[in-house]
Amino acid sequence: MSIRPILWLSSALFALGIYGMLSRRNAIGLLLAVELILNAAALNFVVFSRVFGSVPAQAFALFIIALAACEAVVGLAIILSLARHAKTVCADEVDLLKG
Amino acid sequence: MHYVIPLGTPHTTLTTSLPWLAWIPGLPLLAFAFLILLGRRLGRASAWVSVGALGVSCLLSLSLAAAVSAGERLVVWWPWLTANDPYWSIGLVVDGLSWIMLVVVTAIGTMIQLYSIGYMHDDPRFARFFAYLSLFCASMLLLVLADHFVLLYIGWELVGLCSYLLISFWFEKPAAAAAGRKAFLTTRIGDTFFLVGILLLAWTGGELHFSELAAVRASFVQDHHGSLLTLISALIFFGAVGKSAQIPLHVWLPDAMEGPTPVSALIHAATMVAAGVYLIARTFPLFTPESLRVVLAIGLATHLFAGTVALTMTDIKRVLAYSTISQLGLMMTALGLGALSAAMFHLFTHAFFKALLFLAAGSVIHASHHQELSQLAGLRRAMPWTAGLFLLAALAMSGGFPLSGFWSKDAILLVAQQGQPAVMWLLVLGAVMTTGYIFRVYLRCFEGRAPQETGPHPHESPAMMVVPMAALGLGAAIAGLVGSPWMRHRIFHLLGDPQVHHGMDPLILGLSSVAVVVGFGLAWVIGFRRRNLLPEALRPLGARLYRWAAHAYDVDACYQRMIIGPCWRLAGWLSRFDQRVIDGAVNGAGDAGWRLSQWKAWVDQRIVDRAVNGIAQLVRDTGALLRWIQTGIVQQYLFVMVVSVVVLSILLGR
Repeated sequence: MSIRPILWLSSALFALGIYGMLSRRNAIGLLLAVELILNAAALNFVVFSRVFGSVPAQAFALFIIALAACEAVVGLAIILSLARHAKTVCADEVDLLKG
Repeated sequence: MHYVIPLGTPHTTLTTSLPWLAWIPGLPLLAFAFLILLGRRLGRASAWVSVGALGVSCLLSLSLAAAVSAGERLVVWWPWLTANDPYWSIGLVVDGLSWIMLVVVTAIGTMIQLYSIGYMHDDPRFARFFAYLSLFCASMLLLVLADHFVLLYIGWELVGLCSYLLISFWFEKPAAAAAGRKAFLTTRIGDTFFLVGILLLAWTGGELHFSELAAVRASFVQDHHGSLLTLISALIFFGAVGKSAQIPLHVWLPDAMEGPTPVSALIHAATMVAAGVYLIARTFPLFTPESLRVVLAIGLATHLFAGTVALTMTDIKRVLAYSTISQLGLMMTALGLGALSAAMFHLFTHAFFKALLFLAAGSVIHASHHQELSQLAGLRRAMPWTAGLFLLAALAMSGGFPLSGFWSKDAILLVAQQGQPAVMWLLVLGAVMTTGYIFRVYLRCFEGRAPQETGPHPHESPAMMVVPMAALGLGAAIAGLVGSPWMRHRIFHLLGDPQVHHGMDPLILGLSSVAVVVGFGLAWVIGFRRRNLLPEALRPLGARLYRWAAHAYDVDACYQRMIIGPCWRLAGWLSRFDQRVIDGAVNGAGDAGWRLSQWKAWVDQRIVDRAVNGIAQLVRDTGALLRWIQTGIVQQYLFVMVVSVVVLSILLGR
């Protein structure tokens, strides 16, 4: 079967993820977009494992899921402490690194 | 200490070395050093240091009498310029000539110093006065003992310095300060000519020791350089003209009377002014007939000129000052006639009676606080000792027999008669004037009726002043006997004069006695009784001449107009030049430097600093610009990252 539509799907997901990352006001929405990006990459891995018949690729997809989980934890911890500090979770209101 | 080989001295045969000669000038010099440093602490006692030093010098000098009159020459000398071969030596010598001067300076100096203890009793700078007197005596003794022109010149200059210090001793009085300056500068003119003469002699003759002068003269005459010798001796004479106050450099001596009277007595009567006469006597081998003619002319002119001025003076000290000038002129006349021994004999006697005259005048001034004859009269009753001693000295100066002045003056008249009779008649005229002016002073001051004084009456001076005067009076009376037949003309032998004066010449004796009587008569009638002897027609002329003489023939005014005025104007012009041109240039250079530094500061501030600050500002501005990128908003950073990843992957994929 042709994999091209699935590649279109993962690209679309990736683009949506990029867009979301760049435009979400809420920091948690930003993290959700990042999850989208990661899942698009994982989908690419799975598809190409089916094409080349490579099992390590599927294992890689599992890595990505675990990694996404860890990264979500760390990200949420940062957002939590940020919210305590700046009393807000809007990404464009926090400019503590402003030069 | 070495022996000097006798050369050229006509009258000595034996030369002995005497190491302690140096103490004769040395003791007063030590006294000076001591008193200058510690005098103030000693107070009144400092006088005895000075008197003691000079007294010991006097005794030392007198102890040499036997040796000197036997014809010995006593010397001491030290190596001086040792780079030459043979090396130049310098030292002291005592022969008949310098021994007479030693006796005069030390004996009369001691008497005057004793007198000064009383005269300067209330002066706040008492110790310094005696320090200066000691320095003067040391310098004069050095001058007299020198055997070398340079050493004599050193003593010559030192006595000039001491004269300046002592004339302007009361320097708070502007007249005294000006008089000291005038004395120093006037004698300096003479000294410069003297120095040129010494240098000329050293350059052409090569020898500056006095013992060698006869040999120098012989060599000059042999090489037909007589005119050079005349020039040298004339230059040396001009130095004597300054120091001995002859015309035309006599102007300082009357003004020098501003100093204390002991100073006038010691320096300006007995010793320093006699240094000129001594100099010519010492350097006599250098004098040619031509230069002696100059000496005679100036001496005779001075003798008569000063005599006429002395007749008109009303200040007692000024009369004595002009009298000194006149008597020195007489000594110069004697030297000009070739009579070295007669001149020195007169110097010897003159020192005694002139010093006594000054001390007596000082006694009068000290007692009555007046110097003008118009305010002094009839003091004989109040001050018998002073009056008697003044009379004694006046008789001695006039040449009254058998006092000292008679013998010395007659010796000069005798030489004049034998050489140039015209000069003798002029000297007789001078003798009349001498008697006239001195008795005018005596009669007006001591005889007559005393004015009614409302204040304290004058009284006789204390013994400390009268006793030295009496000692000098004794000297004035008997000092001439050393040249009389009764002592076999001892002084002439001492001076090496082979000529023996046989007895007394009756013409000279008669002339001098007549001169004394005539002079006394004129003094009595004109000076004392104030009768005008001129016929009616001549009286206006007489009055004009009298006034002219009373202003000393306006010599001072003449010098002021012709010399001093232009000098001051030149000095003013040079001073203005110095201030405007030279100082202007220097200040201008400084100003230019300042302006340069100002411009440099402007460059530094406006240009250099701006450049440096500009660079810093550029960096700051760049930073400010770049700061816009750092917004602190995460999503914008992410956007930049995404864009750059895309761009890089396109570029790297190519």
